[in-house]
Amino acid sequence: MSQQTERAAAPLLQVRDLRIEFRTRDGIARAVNGVSYTVEAGETLAVLGESGSGKSVTAQAVMGILDMPPGRITGGRILFRGRDLLAMAEEERRKIRGDRIAMIFQDALSSLNPVLSVGYQLAEMFRVHRGMSRGEARARAVELMDRVRIPAARERVNDYPHQFSGGMRQRIMIAMALALEPDLIIADEPTTALDVTVQAQVMDLLAELRREYRMGLILITHDLGVVADVADRIAVMYAGRVIENAPVADLYASPAHPYTKGLLDSVPRLDHKGGELYAIKGLPPSLMAIPSGCPFHPRCPQAQDICRTDRPPLYPVGPGRTSACHFWKETLDAASAADLAR
Amino acid sequence: MPDERPSDESRAQAARPPQLAPEERAPRGPSPSIDATAERDPDDVLAAQEKSAVEALEATGRPESARSLSSDAWHDLRRNPVFLISALLILFLIVIAIWPGLIATRDPLYCRLGRAYEEPSAGHWFGFDNQGCDVYTRTVYGARASIAVGVCATLGVTLLGAVVGGLAGYFSRFWDPVLSRTTDIFFAIPMVLGAIVFLSMIKLGSIWPVVLVITVLGWPQIARIARGAVLSAKQNDYVHAARALGAGNTRILLRHILPNAIAPVIVMATIMLGTFIVLEATLSFLGVGLRPPTVSWGVDISAASDGMKFRNAPHILLYPAAALSLTVLAFIMMGDAVRDALDPKLR
Amino acid sequence: MGRYIIRRLLQMIPVFIGATFLIFVMVYALGDPVGALFGDRAPDPATAARLRAEFNLDKPLYQQYLLYMRDIFTGDFGTAFNGRPVTELMADAFPVSFRLMLVALAFEIVFGIVLGVVSGLRRGRAVDTTVLMFTLVVIAIPTFVLGTTLQFFLGVELAWIDPAVSPDARFSELIVPGLILAMVSLAYVTRLTRTSVVENLRADYIRTAVAKGLPRLRVTVRHLLRNSLIPVVTYLGADIGTLMAGAIVTERIFNIQGVGYQLFQGIVRQNSPTVVGFVTVLVLIFLLANLLVDLGYAVLDPRIRYA
Repeated sequence: MSQQTERAAAPLLQVRDLRIEFRTRDGIARAVNGVSYTVEAGETLAVLGESGSGKSVTAQAVMGILDMPPGRITGGRILFRGRDLLAMAEEERRKIRGDRIAMIFQDALSSLNPVLSVGYQLAEMFRVHRGMSRGEARARAVELMDRVRIPAARERVNDYPHQFSGGMRQRIMIAMALALEPDLIIADEPTTALDVTVQAQVMDLLAELRREYRMGLILITHDLGVVADVADRIAVMYAGRVIENAPVADLYASPAHPYTKGLLDSVPRLDHKGGELYAIKGLPPSLMAIPSGCPFHPRCPQAQDICRTDRPPLYPVGPGRTSACHFWKETLDAASAADLAR
Repeated sequence: MPDERPSDESRAQAARPPQLAPEERAPRGPSPSIDATAERDPDDVLAAQEKSAVEALEATGRPESARSLSSDAWHDLRRNPVFLISALLILFLIVIAIWPGLIATRDPLYCRLGRAYEEPSAGHWFGFDNQGCDVYTRTVYGARASIAVGVCATLGVTLLGAVVGGLAGYFSRFWDPVLSRTTDIFFAIPMVLGAIVFLSMIKLGSIWPVVLVITVLGWPQIARIARGAVLSAKQNDYVHAARALGAGNTRILLRHILPNAIAPVIVMATIMLGTFIVLEATLSFLGVGLRPPTVSWGVDISAASDGMKFRNAPHILLYPAAALSLTVLAFIMMGDAVRDALDPKLR
Repeated sequence: MGRYIIRRLLQMIPVFIGATFLIFVMVYALGDPVGALFGDRAPDPATAARLRAEFNLDKPLYQQYLLYMRDIFTGDFGTAFNGRPVTELMADAFPVSFRLMLVALAFEIVFGIVLGVVSGLRRGRAVDTTVLMFTLVVIAIPTFVLGTTLQFFLGVELAWIDPAVSPDARFSELIVPGLILAMVSLAYVTRLTRTSVVENLRADYIRTAVAKGLPRLRVTVRHLLRNSLIPVVTYLGADIGTLMAGAIVTERIFNIQGVGYQLFQGIVRQNSPTVVGFVTVLVLIFLLANLLVDLGYAVLDPRIRYA
């Protein structure tokens, strides 16, 4: 009984102080250095960051599809409904994969098996996890293809991935992830590989189905535009850490970390037409040699001495908000002031 | 529908989905990819890039932020024991092939029947063969003919194959179908078979008929690889750019395509060199390759490959066969190591 | 699909003509078929001229080739050195070599694929290194050295097998020769399989299959092997032709009276009809095997089928 309530009370997914390294020929790359975030049931968390910020690696660790070796989880916990996924036996974990937590990949063409029909690949979910018969599973596959609005699903169920357009393929990826109505979906840059016109359609479909099934969603992206429309919360990652975590409206209104501010400022805006585009100077740090103190300090316009020496913890900044900046207050105030001036 | 029968390589290619490098899967140094925060200084892009590069160096403390493929491969090779051992062995073999007198002082053709089949002994470490010749001396001197056949045949095959394949790949519209049918014709004649037919008609004592027949029958393999490499190098944007800037065909081929297409050809040639040495021995065994008095491993091995001789004196087969196998092994392993270094996907 | 087959068949024609013409030129232009009839004796000029006329050897080369092809397509392959029609030799030899090829192919499929898959899945481990080393050694040692030593040990020293294969060439007698014949190809199959498995292991769709929560065995068999074996199957198909023709060494060692044996006799005795006839049929087999490979390829890979 008590365990039952505890489970119900526990958040859908909690990543706690996760640390991941990659052994490479040139040394150890610390891809994830103490990432923590939480996703509540039915919530959409956007994980924002540049390439190499550790956002996809974290997701792969949650999914249990990290390439190990060269990858290695050196610390932390991943709690799914209160149970540590990292401590589970592989077989138990496998049953959660695809069934309770599903993933949508960036490039559907390479992520779908080229020599198996899409119908087979969809039906496989029902056959493996639900033990359905071939025919029953095939019927469910057609249903799924209908749900993600693939025209003439019945005729196309035996087609192969290369016979579909990019947008249709991504719909199949979505269908595959939705198949068993999981509690959590991880979408790793689901629209990056698509044409701009198709991006919106696919994103809308994903958001709509998520609402309908009341699933949690982790949306991994580097596209700030996508985030604003669909996310409830945002976790901004930099050099393998979450450096700001906030409800989406708060973060857009007043970022509490200079890096987030830089990201927002570098988005081209219609009302700034003709003005110079802002760019964060410098390059993301090498994961082999992450700068001391605050990893962002070499690029930060507000860096002080303390930033070079002391690693900032996640300061509570407001209700449900954290920021890993020693000068979060100044940043926040400046942002609010600028917002007012505008 | 494919226009022609795809080669094994292109089949393997086709069987593999196009791989877009998934970001973050294996971080290797600072990622050069441009995201939302890329440098976008409209006034002075170069200065900004330089500046950011300097800053990146300061931040990472690494002397080089990105290595080119070839220097990366060389960096790998120098640390690869397989490569080092095979390279040293090959160097040694080449020296011995040129100056066999360095380590063998006797005359390989001086034989005394009275000492035939004698076991290894002091001063005659490998013993004597069925003719009473010193096996050690003959094994050392045999390197020259065997390696000469391998090297010359490989040179011939590579030159012919690379030129024909490269041109077919570059001027693909007209020459591609012609080359495809021509290589198909040569592929349809198995190497050993064609070589036997040819060599049984030409009776010369030297290595040149063997070299010639290997070249004639072996070039299509290189041609296919060269063609594929040139075809893919041709697609690169910098080739289009060079053409747009008015570079001529010769210049594009030599300056832009050759450096990018040569690697797979060299790798294949190294591996083929080893197999050609085996082929020479096989042809000698069948009685159509090199013949005595030419001293070669193939000649000696085939002379010793006979059940009764083997029973009486296993050493006369063992030593030349081991020398040949080691040589072939060295070339194949070197080719393998170079390929692995050049193709990081397989690491 | 039908058009594809027809086009492939049409493409075979120039290849067939080219390859057979090449062999024809080698044998008839470089050699001296009439001189060979007389052995070491110098032929009487009048007789030689008569024979030349009889065998059309006085005509231009391309005419000789056309006449020869006409004969072949009417089933007349000429006469072998021992006076028997070449077709009779073929009827004896091809079934023997075919059986030998089947044995060799079985070895390649079973051992080559298993070793390749195991080393590919265990890349970088001791098993992988051992298997790779084994393949290199096999490629580096000439087949005839392996063949003669194995024949000596198994046939003479241990007397487990008969060192020479009887004219019947039963399957049981062909196991050791088949293994010897298969060795080099087996090494290549192993390496090809390994490379293919390693490459596919990194493919995105394997990651997807794992993310779907499929059991490991299913990921390996249904997703990994299904894709990895495509290039291997095509290699094996193309190897059928090579094994039929490449058996010259093996058949000589074990005295198997198959295609290689007859061909070798024809070459040694300079009997042109035997050589050209056998090679022509071998080229035909090679081309048909490749056609089968292409069709098999289309069946295995939907991207080819529907492209």
